[in-house]
Order: sequence, then C-alpha cells, then structure tokens
Amino acid sequence: MAAMFSQNPLMNGPNYSFNQAPVTAAGNKEHAFNPYTDNGGSTLAISGSDFAILAGDTRSTSGYNINTRYSPKVFKIGGTTSTQDDATLVLSVVGFAADGEALKERLDAIVKMYRYQHGKPMSVKACAQRLSTILYGKRFFPYYVHAILGGLDEEGRGAIYSYDPVGSYEREQCRAAGAAASLIMPFLDNQVNFKNQYIPGSGVGHELQEREKIPLPRNEVEDLVKDAFDSAVERHIEVGDGLQMLIITKDGIEEKYLPLKKD
Amino acid sequence: MEVLLGITGKDFTIIAASQAAMRGATILKASDDKTRALNQHTLMAFSGEAGDTIQFAEYIQANAQLYSMRNNIDLSPSAIAHFVRGELASSLRSRKPYNVNLLLGGVDPITDKPSLYWLDYLASLAPVPYAAHGYAQYYCLSILDKHHHPDINFEQGLKILRMCTDELKRRLPIDFKGMLVKVITKDGIREVDYNDDARVVCP
Amino acid sequence: MDTLVAQYTQPKFEKENYSEDDQMELYQPTPSLSLKFAMPPVAQPSAWLRAATDDHANPNCPIKIAHGTTTLGFRFQGGIIIATDSRATAGNWIASQTVKKVIEINNCLLGTMAGGAADCQYWLAYLGMQCRLHELRHKRRISVAAASKILANLVYSYKGMGLSMGTMCAGVTPSEGPALYYIDSDGTRLAGNLFCVGSGQTFAYGVLDAEYRYDLSDEEALELGRRSILAATHRDAYSGGFINLYHVKEDGWVKHGFSDTNPIFWKTKLEKGEFSNVTSELV
Repeated sequence: MAAMFSQNPLMNGPNYSFNQAPVTAAGNKEHAFNPYTDNGGSTLAISGSDFAILAGDTRSTSGYNINTRYSPKVFKIGGTTSTQDDATLVLSVVGFAADGEALKERLDAIVKMYRYQHGKPMSVKACAQRLSTILYGKRFFPYYVHAILGGLDEEGRGAIYSYDPVGSYEREQCRAAGAAASLIMPFLDNQVNFKNQYIPGSGVGHELQEREKIPLPRNEVEDLVKDAFDSAVERHIEVGDGLQMLIITKDGIEEKYLPLKKD
Repeated sequence: MEVLLGITGKDFTIIAASQAAMRGATILKASDDKTRALNQHTLMAFSGEAGDTIQFAEYIQANAQLYSMRNNIDLSPSAIAHFVRGELASSLRSRKPYNVNLLLGGVDPITDKPSLYWLDYLASLAPVPYAAHGYAQYYCLSILDKHHHPDINFEQGLKILRMCTDELKRRLPIDFKGMLVKVITKDGIREVDYNDDARVVCP
Repeated sequence: MDTLVAQYTQPKFEKENYSEDDQMELYQPTPSLSLKFAMPPVAQPSAWLRAATDDHANPNCPIKIAHGTTTLGFRFQGGIIIATDSRATAGNWIASQTVKKVIEINNCLLGTMAGGAADCQYWLAYLGMQCRLHELRHKRRISVAAASKILANLVYSYKGMGLSMGTMCAGVTPSEGPALYYIDSDGTRLAGNLFCVGSGQTFAYGVLDAEYRYDLSDEEALELGRRSILAATHRDAYSGGFINLYHVKEDGWVKHGFSDTNPIFWKTKLEKGEFSNVTSELV
C-alpha cells in the first residue's frame, strides 16, 4: 500500500518512463545504482537575424504523475546578480530536472566568474565551448540532459548551440529537444529551414525549385514556437501547462509566459 | 562468409557463387558448386544452413523438371521465382523451416528478357537488376550501384563481376576459394572460365 | 580493518558543498580541457556507464549517444582526400543532418569523427591543444605520426571505460609528406593509404577500392571521395545528409564544400545512368 502513495515513481505500478527498477525473474527488486529519472517536457530554440528565442514548457512529470505545472526549463545565464537582469545568454535544459538544475548552476557560476575576472560578459561562442567541456567533464557519469544555449554572436546575429548529454555540440538554426523533439523537429525543418518546400509552378519532378531560405522575422518565429508547443501538447502527455519563452535581442532578454492546455 | 552474386545485362544473367564449402573453421571443399539448373534457362544459387541448402534446391529442381516433363514446356523464370517463394513461405511457417537464401537467374524463353530474383530465408522476393547475399552485399552493392547499367553486354558484365570479386578478395577476412561463374542466355546455361588466381592486395 | 575504520570515520556530509578542488576550478581562468572526470559512485563505473548509455547492451538505456557514420580518407599523389557524411543518429532517430564530422585540429591537420560525437570532438580538441603546445615547446610543427600517437596513447589509457571513437588523422608535413593514420578507441593506430570508417565503411570501400590509384589527379580524387560517400549514404541508413569534402595539401587543407546528397544523387543517376536499381515504377 505504501507504494501507491509513494512519491518515488519507481515504486508506483506500471511506469511510463525508462526508470523502472530492474526486477529479477522472481520479482525481487535489485538494488542497482539508478540515479536518473526523466522529468519529461520539451524545449525549443530558433535563431533569427538579430534575435534568438528559447522556449520550454513548464510541466514536470514523473511517470504518469505531474509534479508541478510551473517549473522553468529555460534560464538566463551569467548576469551580475541573482536577478540576472543584465544577462546576455540563455540556457535551456530538458531531461532529468535535477541534473538540469545542477548544470545551470554550474554554468552560471562559471560565466559569472568569467565576468568578474575579465570585466566583460562571456561571448556565446566561448560559453558554448565551455558548456561542452562541462558536460564532457561528466563523460563517465553524465548529466542526463539535452541542453541548448542561445545568445547573440559577435555580429549581433542570433546564435543557437545544441548539445548531447556528454557535450558534443553544434551551432544550428533551430533545435527541439526533450520528450516532444520527434514531434516538433520535423515541423521546424519544414517551417524554419523550408525543407521539402518548393516554389509553386516552378515545374514538375526534377525541375522543381527549392524555396529560397531566408531568416524569419521575430513575430513569425514567436508564432511558430506557439504553434509547435500547442501541437506537441495535443499529442504528448509529458508536455503542457505553460509555455515560457525567452527572447534575446540587443536590448536584453525579454520573457514571455503563455498558458498551454493543462489536461 | 558464403558469397552469392548476380548481374543482369542486355541479353544475359550472370550468377556467381563462392567455391568454398565451410564447416566451422574448416574448408571441406574448394570447388563446391552452390548452384542448380532448374530448367533450360533458369539457374538457382543458394547459401545458408548446411543441409537445408541442397535439400531445398534439389526439391525445387525436381519440381521444376517434373513440370517441364508433364507439360512439355519450361516454366518461365518469373513463374519459378514465385513458385520458390511460395514453397519457402510455407516452409517458414512449418515446424522446421528451410534456412536458405537464394538468387534466381534466368532468361525468359519467349521474350528473351533476362531476369534476376533475390530471395531470402524469410521468403522475401524481389526482381532486381543486380544482387548479392551475405557479406558480399556490404561490399558489392555500392560497386554495382555505380558501374551497372541495364544494357551492358556480357564482357562488361564480367568486368563488373571482376571488380566485385577483387573487392571481396581484398577486404573479406576469409578466403572463399574463388568463384564459380555461370551465365544464362537464350541458348541456355553455361559455365564461364573464370580465372581467379591473381593476388589482390589492399592499397 | 584500517580501511573499515577509515570508511566509517569519514564525516557523513563531507561532500555537501563544493570541495576545495571544485571551488578552485571556478577561479581558474582556463580550466577547460582537463583530464579530470567525475565518476559515478559505484564499484564498476564502466559497467554502470554501459547500462546507462550503450543502446546495444541495453535498448532502453536512458542516454542515447549519437552513432553511425561514413568517413573516408585516402592518400594520393596530390595529398590526402578526406570525406564524410553528416548524419547523427540516436537509435532510429536522426538527431542531426548537419554534423561537421571533419574536425579542423589546426590549419594543416584534420581529424575525422566516427562513433561517439562528444568523444571525438573533445579528444580531437585536446589533441589540437597538445599539438599547439608541441609547436611552442619545440619551435616546429608536430608530425602526424606523433600527433596520432598522442591520441592513440590517450584513448588507450581510457580503454574499457566506454569511449567510442574511430578517427583518422590526416596531414602533410615536410618530414613525412602526406600522412594518414587510423586511430580507434580500442587503441589501434595504423598508418595507411586508404581507410573508411563507420557503419557505411564497406559501401565506401567498394567504390573507392575499385578505382583508387595513387596517381589520381586532384579532380579525380575529389570526385572519387564524393562518389564513395554518396554510395554509402545510398546503402547505409545510418549515413546521409551532406557530403563534407576536404583536400589536405602541403600548405594546409582546403575545404571543398558541404553539399546536400539528394541533388548529387539525382544528378549522378540521371546524367551518368548510375543507380539503375532505383526506379519509380511499382512491380
């Protein structure tokens, strides 16, 4: 009976996520070292010509349970104070929330130290490389997170860097991560990078010409983000409740919060 | 590490099979014939579980020949391919299925069109312009993708086959003792003298 | 007995805050590429890591590490050609189609990436650092032989810990001429004329071996490299995306594009009549 009311998802009956404790044939629980759980949720980042948007839903789950409807996955990094008012970088983390929190704290501390020692904020490029080494520093005991870092590059263009759990990274135009990545990423390929879009009337078969790739304006990108999450909420149980968006421009970081469906 | 290759061209189908008969770490025979003629212009090459291969091939051969005798006409390669697929599919659903992979090459006696059929032990059937079974797939299909054209003549076909067997000699860790090569044309099946003695080394 | 006593006399919450080392790390101006790694608190870290990250050993593993690749490199009269695809997969999921699998260690050394993406990126960056230090210490550029040996010894010291990389190091130095080395996480290090690495290696070997000669012209060599990767992307589902082409010469490497495979495939099929098994008819 205790198991039914336990907060520990391992002890509750049929479990959705991967973290069911290994059970032997006899049904005895093995006492394995099992430090990870998946808290679900999804994040999304798109860069434009003079801005970058990072967004994440605010639901946190354990198996079929919803822990909370407001736990942010997108964080400002490296401001001078704890309010992060003058931050220029944004980190989003999805996966295991505790590891995400730890990673955010670690990166924030390092970027803050950099600001104190160098008297200037860290560039996204430098921060991106540093984040990679932080993640790789735990190569043999990984942070179970998919991280995305956003900011503005030296030329003032939006920059998005995406990471795997052990620190391989790449600068990209857009990236979706987390539970609904497989739902959102194909949509982004089509709507941001115009994959499989052709100019109407340019011919048939091999004569078809690809639609020209142009950076999207901010209002369109914001709409894309909203649509992506609204759709993900419809088809994924771990996504919902609220949508948090951080928009990085040369004037600072603007935060937007929009409600998502809560069922 | 058995090798089966098939290539079709303008008016022929080449079937090639490795000559080594292997059991465990031993080569029992270096001049094995892994093919059976099913009628005047259909040839089947086989690989897979020892025992199953020859039993199944000869069962098919006997049935194809029985049909020819009863009806005084050969089955077309396409008809045989679908018959073989049916037999393999019912075997697959039996208590002890045949574990055999096949290539079926032929030339249609009426249209003179060459054809090649790829079948695996799960009874998948695919008509293809060129084919391979086993590890040979990994090395040869990319060569065939690049160098094969549907209207090649016999000499060009042999040249592509040579590229494939050279690559296998170069990269496969086990010696398959050369290839037995047969060609099917509208005049029937004949063995090709295929000199496989040249040494090939990795660059 | 002493160990037992030591174990139980440790303060219970010793690690509650950042340790001295952790704090020092924050102060240090350039900590980055170090050899200090956090370890899981278990007896067999490598076995634990395999359970958590190796989707071959455990298909339900929580952390999927990107795998699957085709990379190739070959030496010829005009230097070295390096070519790769650009797909990263995690299980059946295509994680990215735009991965840069050629790592520019410095302006005359290239590394290729197969296996764990992070392992390759990190250790080739580390190798770049070691190469630069060698230049500063010895006032001349490091040989490809020495650079590849640094990497081989390094990964060998982590053998059994679960690193996964199959890489090639290519460079041209005055002492060696064009040099190509294959290094993998087992500790293998081989010098050679021609290597293909990754899940699509056999398909690339097929096309490459058939027409490879040392006296290839620059144009022929680039085309052969491109065509070999195309062959692999066509037959190996774990390879695809873009073809990344490099030519390494005496005065450094030259990049020859990051080009989409799809138009190249159709051009090859329609203009040269290759890939004759691809048809639009249903049988």
